[in-house]
Amino acid sequence: MTKRNLTQIPGAIQILSVLAAFFVGLLLILATGASLSQSVTAFVQGAFGTGYSISVSINRAVIFALVGLGFIIAARAGLTNVGGEGQIAIGGMAATAVALYGGAEGLLWPFSFLYPMVAACIAGAVWAGIAGFLKVRAGTNEVISTLLLSFIAIWLVYWSVQSPVLLRQPMTSAATLPESLSIPVTTQIPLLTGSYASPVTAGAIVALILAIFTWVLLGRSIFGFRLRMVGENPTAALRAGVSVDRDMVLALAIAGAFGGLAGAMMIQGEQYALKAGFSSNYGFDGLVVGLLARGRVSGVILGALLFGFLRSGGIMMEMAASVPTALVQIVQGLIVIFVAGAAYWLEGKRR
Amino acid sequence: MAADNLPPLSLDAAPLFSMRGISKAFGNFMALSGVDLDLNAGEIHCLLGENGAGKSTLCNLIFGVHAPSDGKMNYLGAPHDPGGPRDALDGGIAMVHQHFSLSPDLSALDNLLLGSTLKRLNRKSAQARIEALADSYGLKLDLTQRVGDLAVGERQRVEIVKALVRRPRLLILDEPTAVLLPEEISALLKTCRKVADEGCGVVMVTHKLAEIRSAADRVTVIRTGKVVAKSDAPAKEMDLLVSAMIGREDLPDAARQRLRKGGRRGPDVMQADGLSYRDAMGALRLDKASFTVTAGEVVGIAGVEGNGQTELGNILGGVLRPTEGRWFAGDYDLTHAPARNATSHGVGIVPEDRHGVAIAEGMSVTDNILNNRVAAYTRFGLLDRKRMKADAAELMSRFDVRASGPDIPIAGLSGGNQQKAVLARELTTPGLKFLLAAQPTRGLDIGAVNSVYDMIRQACDDGVGVLLISSELDEVLAASDRILVIYRGRIVAQRNANETSREEIGALMAGQAA
Repeated sequence: MTKRNLTQIPGAIQILSVLAAFFVGLLLILATGASLSQSVTAFVQGAFGTGYSISVSINRAVIFALVGLGFIIAARAGLTNVGGEGQIAIGGMAATAVALYGGAEGLLWPFSFLYPMVAACIAGAVWAGIAGFLKVRAGTNEVISTLLLSFIAIWLVYWSVQSPVLLRQPMTSAATLPESLSIPVTTQIPLLTGSYASPVTAGAIVALILAIFTWVLLGRSIFGFRLRMVGENPTAALRAGVSVDRDMVLALAIAGAFGGLAGAMMIQGEQYALKAGFSSNYGFDGLVVGLLARGRVSGVILGALLFGFLRSGGIMMEMAASVPTALVQIVQGLIVIFVAGAAYWLEGKRR
Repeated sequence: MAADNLPPLSLDAAPLFSMRGISKAFGNFMALSGVDLDLNAGEIHCLLGENGAGKSTLCNLIFGVHAPSDGKMNYLGAPHDPGGPRDALDGGIAMVHQHFSLSPDLSALDNLLLGSTLKRLNRKSAQARIEALADSYGLKLDLTQRVGDLAVGERQRVEIVKALVRRPRLLILDEPTAVLLPEEISALLKTCRKVADEGCGVVMVTHKLAEIRSAADRVTVIRTGKVVAKSDAPAKEMDLLVSAMIGREDLPDAARQRLRKGGRRGPDVMQADGLSYRDAMGALRLDKASFTVTAGEVVGIAGVEGNGQTELGNILGGVLRPTEGRWFAGDYDLTHAPARNATSHGVGIVPEDRHGVAIAEGMSVTDNILNNRVAAYTRFGLLDRKRMKADAAELMSRFDVRASGPDIPIAGLSGGNQQKAVLARELTTPGLKFLLAAQPTRGLDIGAVNSVYDMIRQACDDGVGVLLISSELDEVLAASDRILVIYRGRIVAQRNANETSREEIGALMAGQAA
């Protein structure tokens, strides 16, 4: 009875898993010898303490949400896109290149900052589309190909910021850092409040619009219906007249576009210059957000906010209470294991 | 039919292996129930039955792959309760599986030595020993070849030698002839006889009657997990065995009545022209099938399973591409066309593999019924869910699909209701001219069987041409205007349903020349 009740409340498993993971996190804080009250205070301060910390947390959540939304779109077609990190990298590079050298600066505002974002979407879509193409043409497992494409993309960023003929800023001295020039102000994504004291960017609105778009796409559009058929039973989908191959490639390409856009937002909304390793595992955390959402847009939004605030709080906890920020990753990992374990416990036995 | 309830006359006559009251359940599904079986040393015992009857499960119980849910097994006078295939092998039971378990990159010899108990490996002497053994059974083998380069028949010989190397007391062969050419089949049967003559018990699973006639000493017929017939003189009791295997004793009277009067003919709605299919192993599964279906008639394909009708159904259903030949709906060539072209040319398909091809189990009844026409349900570019649900509910009541609602996942419906949902979709294909119904009543209860044939008959009266593929001979006889008999991939005979008999078709299905 209790088991069935649990599965019927949407999100119940996720919430319980998060609470359980937090509990284990608290035990681990005690185990490190740090003061519990100090740590929790630091965490809360870092996550919600000021307008600034809330803004930063939301900006992080936006990145996670975009990758997570892309993930559930591909997942609807039965595809697992683990290449968010690489799609972010490719998108960030494309956005930087277009903002600096693609004539974006001269465009009328807001096109000056939208244009690099669109370029990033296209780049991410092509990048993930490669995996889709390999999948339908050669049967390459998309888990493998998207992951490996990520490594390629990450190292392409390294290369591009090391090489002056690519995106590296002009070398004026031996101390010139291996990164791109700062992008022009007009290509930066504007802050909603206009103040760096609470730097939530317009990206949050874009993400919200895309969340609604995804919800409509998956739930109400013919394309979403076709993706679902492909994911549930490709043979039956083929029989029902769906172009299974084309839709698989499209699903991955859309996921890639979302990832690419996330990369553009990190550059144009926060960092303003391309650096090696500019996305510190945001793509992989976004993938986890997508996994936890179990196909629901609302799940992606909640998961993204959770992870965004977790990350901000964790960083502050390390600075103020000397609790390693790795703890946050442990808690994230535990959430995944608990959710997956609960799914196995609740559903696995019925088979 | 022989009784098997006589006590053994002497100790020597005690069976090599016996089962009493054996049942095996997989979840709620009873694969076997209350099976009694005796296997004697020195005889070939055939297990006969349709696909899914439980033959393979039975073999797997003997070989220790599964443990029975209930009942007792005896082997060599002691209780037989293997913990796994390893125990069975150690006890002298060997099995040749339907799907080979050979490593394609190793030579035949290395495959045979793999897992052998030899302490020190001497390839030369091992090869000589194995060659001598194979020779003594008349098995031709080149041991140095890579298994991946061998033809199917040769691979199977490797498997058989692999079993014989262990000098088994009981040899189980699970559908050994399914992949073989005719001359290979007779060689295999000779080998089996030789093995049996040496005192080994041989169990052979098959659904081919010709093999039973030429090789079996005794036959046990299994149907839906139960023993329905036994024979000690199978060659003389073929007719009984056939009817036990294919007869649907529970066929309702309504379905037994002649459903079709015949006579009404319209234009050709479907034409098959020399359709052939050769599988990946190189075996010709379907051999130049040519026929036409005209408007308003039901053409039945009668045949024992495994004779090419599945391949024919899959080709017409768009799941398989023929290696040769073409087929048309009206004038339109659908041989290599995507499935949506078939739909748009008025072709409805009720595929044999309901779960694999016809439905998406995780989706709702509504979504499954309307999945080939969702484009007709858009409003402002979005799906009009309300109208979809209303139309699906209407179709559900028209085709008597019983479910608690149109929104529940179709996986929650019984097989019969799932099939009715499939028919609701396919029979309402706009401009329907031709319907393929492949094994449309498999796994359904009597009520659902009746509904399915009512629907097919109705479609036919509306001028649709129907191709009915079924292994239920009585259903084919009752529902068809014309009957084509398929045997070993060829259409060997054509009869008008009202000018033939069950016996005649049964004999043709068994490969007795017309």
